[in-house]
Order: sequence, then structure tokens, then C-alpha cells
Amino acid sequence: MSKGIPLAEALARYRADAELGQPPVLSDIDALLSAYHPDHMSGSAVKLAVGANAGDSCQRELAELLQAEAFIDEADLAGAPVTDIDVLVIGGGGAGCAAALAAAENGARVLLATKLRLGDSNTVMAEGGIQAAIEPEDSIQRHIQDTLRGGHNIGDPALVSALAGDGPEVLHWLINLGMQLDQTPSGDLHTRRAGGMSTPRLVHCRDYTGLEMMRVLREAVIQHRSIEVWEQSPAVELLSNEVGQKCVGAVLTSLLDGQLRIVRTRSVILATGGLGRLHLNGFPTSNHLGATGDGLVLAYRIGARLCELDSFQYHPTGLLHPSHLAGKLVTEGVRAAGALLVNGLGQRFIDELQPRDVVCAAILRECREGRGVCVDDQRTGVWLDTPRLERAQPGLLEQQFTSLMTRTHVAGIDPRREPLLVHPTLHYQNGGAVIDTNGATTVPGLYAVGEVSGGIHGRNRLMGNALLEIISFGRRAGAAATANRDRGPKKVTLEHVNHLRRALTLAGLPMTQQAPQILPAYAAGGIWNR
Amino acid sequence: MEPLIAGTPHIGAAQLLLHPDRRVGADLARWRSSGGGAALARAVQDPAAVLAEVRQADLRGLGGSGFPAWRKWEFVAAEAPKPDKYLIVNGNEDEPGTFKDRLLLEETPHQVIEGAVVTALAIGVNRVVFYTNPDLARSLAAMKAAIEQWQASDLLAQASAALGRPMELQLLPGSGHYIGGEETASMEWVEGRFPFPRGKPPFPAQAGVHGCPTLINNVETIANVPHIIAQGAAWFRALGKGQGTGTKLYSLSGDVLHPGVFELPMGTPLRELIFVHGGGLLSGKPLKAVFTGGPSCALLTPVDLDVAMDFDSLRERGANLGTGAMIVISEGTGIVKRVAEYERFFAHSSCGQCNSCKIGTANMSRLLDRIDTGCGTAADLATLKNLCTMLPGSGRCHLINGAVQLLDSAFHHFPDEFKQALR
Repeated sequence: MSKGIPLAEALARYRADAELGQPPVLSDIDALLSAYHPDHMSGSAVKLAVGANAGDSCQRELAELLQAEAFIDEADLAGAPVTDIDVLVIGGGGAGCAAALAAAENGARVLLATKLRLGDSNTVMAEGGIQAAIEPEDSIQRHIQDTLRGGHNIGDPALVSALAGDGPEVLHWLINLGMQLDQTPSGDLHTRRAGGMSTPRLVHCRDYTGLEMMRVLREAVIQHRSIEVWEQSPAVELLSNEVGQKCVGAVLTSLLDGQLRIVRTRSVILATGGLGRLHLNGFPTSNHLGATGDGLVLAYRIGARLCELDSFQYHPTGLLHPSHLAGKLVTEGVRAAGALLVNGLGQRFIDELQPRDVVCAAILRECREGRGVCVDDQRTGVWLDTPRLERAQPGLLEQQFTSLMTRTHVAGIDPRREPLLVHPTLHYQNGGAVIDTNGATTVPGLYAVGEVSGGIHGRNRLMGNALLEIISFGRRAGAAATANRDRGPKKVTLEHVNHLRRALTLAGLPMTQQAPQILPAYAAGGIWNR
Repeated sequence: MEPLIAGTPHIGAAQLLLHPDRRVGADLARWRSSGGGAALARAVQDPAAVLAEVRQADLRGLGGSGFPAWRKWEFVAAEAPKPDKYLIVNGNEDEPGTFKDRLLLEETPHQVIEGAVVTALAIGVNRVVFYTNPDLARSLAAMKAAIEQWQASDLLAQASAALGRPMELQLLPGSGHYIGGEETASMEWVEGRFPFPRGKPPFPAQAGVHGCPTLINNVETIANVPHIIAQGAAWFRALGKGQGTGTKLYSLSGDVLHPGVFELPMGTPLRELIFVHGGGLLSGKPLKAVFTGGPSCALLTPVDLDVAMDFDSLRERGANLGTGAMIVISEGTGIVKRVAEYERFFAHSSCGQCNSCKIGTANMSRLLDRIDTGCGTAADLATLKNLCTMLPGSGRCHLINGAVQLLDSAFHHFPDEFKQALR
């Protein structure tokens, strides 16, 4: 692999006013993806040996966790305090809050447990916006088609139509909660067109849409009488009935005192988000500290079927330089607003509004073939041509991309005058727990919403569909979870863990590693130490 | 109570009752071609010889009591019909960890029916009731189909002719209550009432269903009868090990690699069941205890690993074979939680007609739940120990005794675990 063009040389060569031609015509998308996308890197995927997805292809780092030993034994639960509640929501991001609110609106007593603090999530990192078919020339049908096409037609049409159909109502609900959204001068909601969309559909609040959404969700949750919030309380295991085939609660621990607590409930809603902090294939990540894939591990162990475990989204434009910001996002909105991608030779190499996986593969191709800009031996990237955008639309960056400007200002970079060095960053887990349109998994009593669920985005998610998904499916699952009005569990056991241990032993797999991970190893010292 | 193992349990080491040749399902022709009907043919020729053969074989009540089945038979045989005599084949099987009768009913219904008809002939019974757990849909369906085949075949006609009056077979789904499996409670249900256990005496052999002499035997006990008659008592006794006779269906569950039903010689050591047939403990953890029963018996601990699992050997150790259920607990599993769960089961299962049982089991369950959830005090533990001395023998049936025996045994073997869980 050639290293590329050194940073100083590339910077000297860069001209914001240089004539740029059209990017080369993309002839074979599949060939580009299979040659350069990290999902297709050799050694990246393995076959699962046990569980509901035995035989399926799965990302190696994830497979190790899915086929790991549990943290706790039944004996550890002796003397653990028990809490009885109608609905337990695990996860304090946007999906968890939406589910908790919907369940509480339907009359349930809700416990929301979150690993860190309420709102410490990837929701707040979503910068670009939320998709909803509200423009006159747009339609639900076009939204469905774009989403399916963007996901390489692997997505479940029933889930996608539920998602797209909820779009306008979701916006209505959020606005009623008090969420601010950017408007046109005449007062309509302002929309943008982003990668993979056939028409402008992205509603946004500057470049901190997710943060604004989380602000109102968090306030609504805290103020709701029927919702109790436990912070710093990660789930270490789900609880099953005595045949290990129905979810009847969870075991939570506390990051503060390490004590185990049993929560018995009729329904558990997993809203635990993704797994960027597993740093698949050694990539940096845009995800928050707690994104360690715990929900997938817990769901798989209790028998839930998962899907697309070998498909992850790498966001094309993560910051590469300076190194302490490595992996942080530059929103796709910048490209949607017209910023171009340029390699170290000063050439465009891809249509910037192609779906994320295609753009990502194209950037990796430039880097691998020596046309990237290299900072040092390890790090190579390409330019995101923000100065050209500033020349074309003066003031736009400052007005609409506040958080980008703030972040780069702190690092001593001015994107209006120098281009940003970007490289793909691990961003999103496309697959997850298989769900129906109510968010119900294949295990009775267990629901999954948000990034931990799968089936909507196929093998590639479009920008703005994640924020829509967490509210749409969060509310669906919250309502469905309260519909279960049986008398609650008679018995809570770890029988499903025994099922897994049997399977692991028979498959000859080691049981040395324990999961879920709770926190990444480099952050765990002193905080989470069992 | 939900079954401990969903679906059809794993079947291992089947020798006699669950031998693949016997598992023909509800297909009478296949049953007859695999040797079925031979016992009935003998019994029709000489009904009186059946009882003698079963006595020789020392057939025990395999539903948990271990009481010699032939002695109950003798009592009923000695009574005159008033005007009928009843046989209840008890398949109510509803306790945690027991899942053997459902297999016999589902996979070998003709074995059970032939056993029942031969038994009925031997002791002069004309009304046979197959009393079955209503939740086990597949067992019920198989029995329904099998009984219809018998009613249409010449076999039942031969039996009726030998008996001198029509023999009636009836399939009766139970109430779904655990207590419905108690023998006098089953008679109440057959009579059409809620299954409250009756006081004894009078014993069922004298005045059972509608005042008629009644024999109640477990499905597994009855299933052995055809083989004893067809192959002889000596052959049957030789199947067992040591003091045991015949085979036993052991329901193995808990922290073992291969849970399931294992048909082994009566008197097989616990060690062989767990480590040879069960594949050893999960994750290679050390053995902590075994709940036998259903869990209404005393605990076994690692020192009991080499005890022969027959009724008499276990009774000598102060334990009980029960239904042959072995719920294995490894070092990673808490005793308090398990005992609390089983006591909750007993509290739910108490029919409530005896105050001591109704209040006693509820109190034991409540106090154990407190201890298990970290809210218990030393006073709670003392109260529990007190209850263990007061309650035994205070009910009409044995439910309260089983509940106490389990707790008492857990206190005896694992006192520290209870103390540790205190606040």
C-alpha cells in the first residue's frame, strides 16, 4: 500500500478556486463495495456457531461477544433487591425516551435504566436531520423507495413502510414536545436533500438536530410522573421464564456501587444503541462511550434472532486530523449543502451524494491507491472542500453548521479557509434484532427499538432515517409493550444462560470471555471493574 | 406449572418403557406387531396369576410414594364391587422437574392402556380412567386416538369377556392443579368436584370414587405391568441394580449438559446419571446439590453421589426418590432463590382447605421471598425454623410435609447461605 501525498505537500497544492471537473462515472457499485468497503475486508466476518443465527455470517469482534459467557450466575442474585414494574426500558437515548413516553402515555409504570446518564447517546450526535415526506412534490412512496434502494433492497418492506408512513406524524409529535426546527423565510419547515434521497426530505435544526431532539425528549421523560429513571445502571443480563424462552425482566447493576438489582416486568424494551466502541476492523468511531453492543449480546443470549450482523455503516466524513478528534463526525449536511470531496491530487473522485457506503468505499480506494493525503504512517484521508463551499455560499457554514464550526475552532482549524481532512469512521450498525412493526423481537416479552434493532435499513442506512426510526418505532414498541396485561412473571431465572452454556460446550467454544462489555476496555479502568 | 423443558425432552438410555420399539405412538397395529397384546392374552387366560407375578416382581408405585403397588392391588382385589370398581391411571404430572409421564402417554399410549387393562382384569376393575394433565395437548391427543382404537378392537372385548362385564375406558383431562395429582384429590375430580384431597381413612381401596373400591396408580407404574406379565417377574427383577427392580425413568434437569429423560436400571447411582448420561455439569462447575422429587423431598449433596437411586436406599439416607426428578444445582446457583421458588410453588398449589397448609405455605413463601430479595432479618429466619417444626403432619395430604421437608433439608445443608442473605 502506498502511503499517499504528505499533508504539507497536499496543503500547498490545494486551491479553493481550482477548476474541478465532474467526478468519474461510477460504473460498477458492487465491485467498488466488495473491493473497498470494510464489511468485505478479508477476516472481517466469521460464521456464528451457536444461537438463533448459527451459520450466519457475523463481524468477528461482535461474534466473540455473542458467543461469550454471561457475567453473572444465579448465585450472584442472592439477596438482590427486586423491583416490579410494568415496562422496563433499557437505554436512555432517543429511542428509549420515546418508548418510555409512549408506554407511560398508555398507562404503564415505566422504569428507564441507562448505562451512563439520560441522553448520553448517539442521538445527540445525529447532526444532519430527520427524514419525513412533507414536501408537496414528495410522497411516502418515494420515501419508501429511497430507503429500500439505499439499503440495497434488503430491508423489510413492512418495516420501511411503517417508518416512512410515520414520518409526518413523528414531526408533529416532536414539535408538540417543543422541538425547534429550521424554517424557510415563509415559515415552512426547511428541507435538504442528502445522500440517497430522490428529493429534499431532510428536516433539521442547524447541525445539531439530534441534540435538540434529545433536549425535548429528556425534559419530557424527567417530567413524566409514571417514568422512573435510573442512571449509571447498565443491564448485565436479561431474565427469562423457567424454560428460558420468554423475557420477564433484567438484571441491572450500578456503575457507582456495583450492586446487582433484579427488575421483574411484563415487557422489556431494548434501546441500547450500537457498537461503534468495539472499533470493528480497527476503525475509529463517531459513537459515544457506551456504544458497546450490549443489547445485541443480551438479546442473542435469550434467543432473539438477529440480522445483517456483517453489515455496518462507516460514515464517509469522520475527522482525521487533529488526532484527538479522530472519528468525530462532519455531518453529511455539509455535503448536502454542496461541499465536494477532493483527493490529494486535487481531483474529485465520487459523486458526493451517493449513499454512504459507496462514498466510504470510494474514499478508502483513494487512500489505498496512494491518492490520499497522509498525516503520518497510519493515517491517510481526503479533503472535504469546505473553503469552496464558503466561496459559493458565503456565511453558510457559520449559520447552519454551528457545532462543526465550534468543534474545529477549538482545534484551531478554520474550515472556511482550509479544507478538512476526513476519513471514514465506524458510525452505525445496519442490522440488529429482527423485529415486527411493533418492535417485538422473536422472543416474547422482548422489544428492540433504534439502532439495536434491524431489518429497516438493509445493508446501508440513509441519513436522517435513524432519527425517524427511533421515534417511530420507539413509540410503536412503547404502546405495544403496554398491551401485555398478564399477571407478570411467576418465576425469573437465568435458564437461557444455561441454554447458551450447553450450546457453547457442545460446539467446543471457549467460555473465557464474558459479555456484555458495558464499557470499552480503555475506559473501564477505575470505573467498571468487576 | 409450565414444563421445565419446553417441547419433547431429550430421551436417553431407554431400555424398556421408552425403548424405540415401544415408541410407536397411537398406532395399535404397530403396537401389536412389536409384541403388544401378549400380556393381555396371558391375563385373559389366567387373571389370578397377574397379581402373583406383580407381587413377585416387587413393582413399586413410581409416582413418588414407592409403596409396593401389588399391596394396593391386593386391597382392591379383596373388595367386592359396589357396584363398580375403579382404576385411575394418574398422569396429572405437574411438579417442577418431572417430565416422564407425558412421554409415556405421548409416545407409548398403547403400552399404558394395555397395562391398565391387564391391571383391571387382575383385580376385577370395570371402569378405567386415564387422568391426564390438561396442559399436555400432545399426550391427550395420543391417548384419545389410542383409546378409540382399543374400543374398536377385539382386545377390549376379550378383556370384558374375561372380566364377565363390560370394561370401560375413559380419558379425563385433569383440573390443571398440582394438588389434583394427589390420589384422593383425583377421585374428587373424577366425581366432578374441585380436587380437594380427602382425609384417610376410608382408604380409596375401600371407598373411593362414588364409594366404590378404587385403585390409583401412576402412569409409569401401569406401563411396567405388560412387561412383567409377558416376560416374567424374574426377568423384571433382574433389570434393576442392587435392591432395585425393573427400570426407572429419571427426569434430569438443571445445570447439566444434557437434560432429559433417562431410563436406567432402578438403583443406578446418582453419579452415573449426572456424569455419564447427563454429560456432567455445565461449564465444569462443582456439584452443589440435587433437588429430588419434584422438589418435595430432602436435598442430596455431593456426599450422596454414590447412593443407589432406588426407594429404599434413598430412604435410608433420609431422602426420597419421589418421581425420579433430579434437579441438579451447581456451585453457581443460589440455594435460597431456588428454595424460595419451590416454596412459592407450594404456596400457589395449596388447595387451601387445611388452615395450617394454606397459611403455613404462604408464610414460608413470603418469608423466603423477603430473605431472597435482601429484606430478611434474623427473626424471619427463626420464624421459618419454627414453622419447620410446627407444620409437618398438620394437613390432610402430604403437600405441607413436602414443603417443610425441602426447607428443613436446605437449612440443614446450607445454613450459611441463608444467613448471608440476611439484611
